Amino acid sequence: MAILNREVKKKSGDLYLSDKPPLTTAGKVGLGFTYFILIVFAFIVLWPIYQIVVNSFNGAQARNIILGGGFSFSLRHFEHLFQETNYLHWVKNTIFIGIATAIITVLIVSFTGYAFSRFRFKGKKFSLLLIMLIQVIPTFAGITAYFTLHQIIVGVVPFFSRQMLLVMIYAGGGIASNTFILKGYMDSISPELDEAAHIDGSTNMQTYRLIIMPLVRPMLAIIALWSFIIPFLDYMLPSILLNRNQDYTLATGLFTLISDQRTMNQPAFAAGGMLTALPIVTFFMLLQNQLVSGLSAGSVKG
Amino acid sequence: MKVSMINLGKKYEGRENFTIRDINLEIEDRAFCVILGPSGCGKSTLLRMVAGLNSITEGELYFGDRLVNKVEPKDRDIAMVFQSYALYPHMTVYDNIAFSLKMRKERKQVIHHRVLEAAKVLQLEEYLYSKPSDISGGQRQRVALGRAMVRKPQVFLMDEPLSNLDAKLREQMRIELVRLHKRLETTSIYVTHDQAEAMTMADRIVLLDQGNIQQNGTPSDLYNRPANLFVAKFIGSPTINVFRGTIQTGQFVSDSGQVRIRLNDRDQEATRNHDGKAVYVGIRSERFLPETSLRDGEDAITATIDVIENLGKEQSLVVKLPDNTELVMTMPGHLHFGVDEAHAFGIDPHALHLFDGETEVRLN
Repeated sequence: MAILNREVKKKSGDLYLSDKPPLTTAGKVGLGFTYFILIVFAFIVLWPIYQIVVNSFNGAQARNIILGGGFSFSLRHFEHLFQETNYLHWVKNTIFIGIATAIITVLIVSFTGYAFSRFRFKGKKFSLLLIMLIQVIPTFAGITAYFTLHQIIVGVVPFFSRQMLLVMIYAGGGIASNTFILKGYMDSISPELDEAAHIDGSTNMQTYRLIIMPLVRPMLAIIALWSFIIPFLDYMLPSILLNRNQDYTLATGLFTLISDQRTMNQPAFAAGGMLTALPIVTFFMLLQNQLVSGLSAGSVKG
Repeated sequence: MKVSMINLGKKYEGRENFTIRDINLEIEDRAFCVILGPSGCGKSTLLRMVAGLNSITEGELYFGDRLVNKVEPKDRDIAMVFQSYALYPHMTVYDNIAFSLKMRKERKQVIHHRVLEAAKVLQLEEYLYSKPSDISGGQRQRVALGRAMVRKPQVFLMDEPLSNLDAKLREQMRIELVRLHKRLETTSIYVTHDQAEAMTMADRIVLLDQGNIQQNGTPSDLYNRPANLFVAKFIGSPTINVFRGTIQTGQFVSDSGQVRIRLNDRDQEATRNHDGKAVYVGIRSERFLPETSLRDGEDAITATIDVIENLGKEQSLVVKLPDNTELVMTMPGHLHFGVDEAHAFGIDPHALHLFDGETEVRLN
C-alpha cells in the first residue's frame, strides 16, 4: 500500500508528463500573448451573439434596439414575430428549399462523383475542367437567364414556382463544386473493392449502393449539410426572385424587419435570427452519426 | 474447368506496345497453375483478363468449351483474391463472405450454412461478427479466401495473395492454400513474383517475361531443365552461377580462361555445332563439390572465400575466382570453411546447363 501511495503521489506531483520541453520565460510570454489574441477574437465572435440573445428577450426594447438600456424579461418580440409577420411561412419555405436542395445535390453528386472517379470515358478531362471553370462565374451573373428559364418552364409545367427555381439554382451550383469533392474522396477508396464486388456479382448500381456509398457517407453527409444551409445564408437571389412576402425565405423575410420603416422591429429581427439556428442545429445533429470518418480504415492491407 | 488461352494479347489504351501478346496456354482442370514473373512482366494483366476485369485485345479465352472473351466477370463463375484483400470495410466478416451469395439471390439458409462451413475450414468462426479493421492481417487474408471459396467457383484466381503477410505466416498460408485447392477441386491460377512460392505450390509454373511465356512446365522442369538463361536465373535461390565462354573441342573454356570444364558425352553431343562459338554455362550452387570428395583427374577450380552465410544445415559461400568472378556455392553445414581461405572446388559434369551465346536458348 505504501509503495502504491508513493507512486501515485509521484505521478501527480513530481513527474513531468508533457511530451514538450518545459517553457522558457520568453515562451511563457508568447503563450500569454497567444491567449490574449484568442480571447479578443472570441469576444469579437461572441459579443454580437450575446447581444442578439439578450435583446430578443428584452421587453424594454422598442422597435429600434438601443444598447445600454435596461432589461426586463419578456417574450413579446417572439409573439410579434409569430403573430404579426409571416415568420412560420419563411421557416417552412427555407426548410423546404434547403431539404430539396440537399436531396437533389446528394443524389446527383453521388452519380457524377462515382462516374468521374471510377469510369474512363471520352471527354472526362474536359468536362472536369469545364465544371471547374463554371464555378468561377458568380451565380448572380445568371440572373436574367433565371427569369427567362422560369418563364419557359412555367409554360410547360405550370406549378413550377419561383422557390423551385431557387432549388434548381442552388442544386445546380452545388453539384458542380461537390462533384469535385466527392470524386476526390472516392479516389481514395481502392478500386479493388469495386472489382471484388463485380466479381462477386453486383452491377455498377449495386456496387455503388452497397459498397461505395456506405464508405463515402461522411462526405455525403457534409455535402447534404452544406446544401441545406445555402438558403439560410443567401439573401440576394431570393430577394430578387421571390416577390410575395409569404414566399420569402428566412433571410429575405427577416430583412423586412430592419429595412422597411413600416414593418421595422429590430428586437423581433434578433429573435428571428436566433431561432434560425434551430433547424440547422437539428439537421446537424441528425447527420452527426454519419459524419464519423475513418470507416474505410482496415479495408485494404494489414 | 479447363482454361485455354489462344494467342491472347492485351494492349492498354494510350500505350504504344502490347503489354502481353501471343499467349498460348492450357491450364488443365483442377490444376494449380502459378503465373510467375518479375514485376511489370504482364502477369497481373493476364490474370485480370482471365477474371474479366481487363478486356481482351486479341485472341480467345475459353473456359471449358465456352468462349468467355466478352462475358462479364460475374457470369464467368470465378472468384478472385486480391493482393490487398479488398474486404468491404463496413461489413462484418460474415457479410463479407456472404456478399457474393446474396448478390446471386441465394436462399438465407443456404447462405448461412455455406458461410459457417467456410468459416470452419478457415478457422474464422470466432471472428464472424467482427469488422475487417478489428482482425489481424492473416485473418483478413482468410476472410478474403473465404469470400472467394464460398461460392464454389469453377476457377479460383489469386493475385499475390501472400505478399502482405510476414514470412512465418506466409509459409503457413502456402501450405493451407495448397490444402484448400485440393479440397475445393477447382482450377486455381495464382500470380506471384516469388519463385519460392511458385516452386512450393504449383503443379505447373508459367514463367512470363516481357509479355511472353518463357517456359511452361512443372517446378522440377523449370529448375532442372530451364529453357533459357532467363528461366535459369529467375528460378532458384541462390541464383544460378553463369560463365560465359566458348566450346573448344569438347571442353568449355571461360572468357578469362580461368574455368575449364570437360563436357560429358551428352553435352558434347549437344554442342557439336557450337565448336568455337560463344555459350553460357550455368551451374547451380549446390552442384559444386567440396575439396574432400574430389577424385583425381576431375576438373576443379580454385577460389578464395569472400563471405560465408551460415544457415545451419547448409552454408552459402560467396567465393571469388582469381579473375574476380563471383560465384555462390552451397556446401553442407558441417564442413569448415574460413573467410579468405583458398579452396579447390569440383564441378559436377552432369549438372551443367548450356545456353547459346546469342539466343540464350538451352542447348543440352
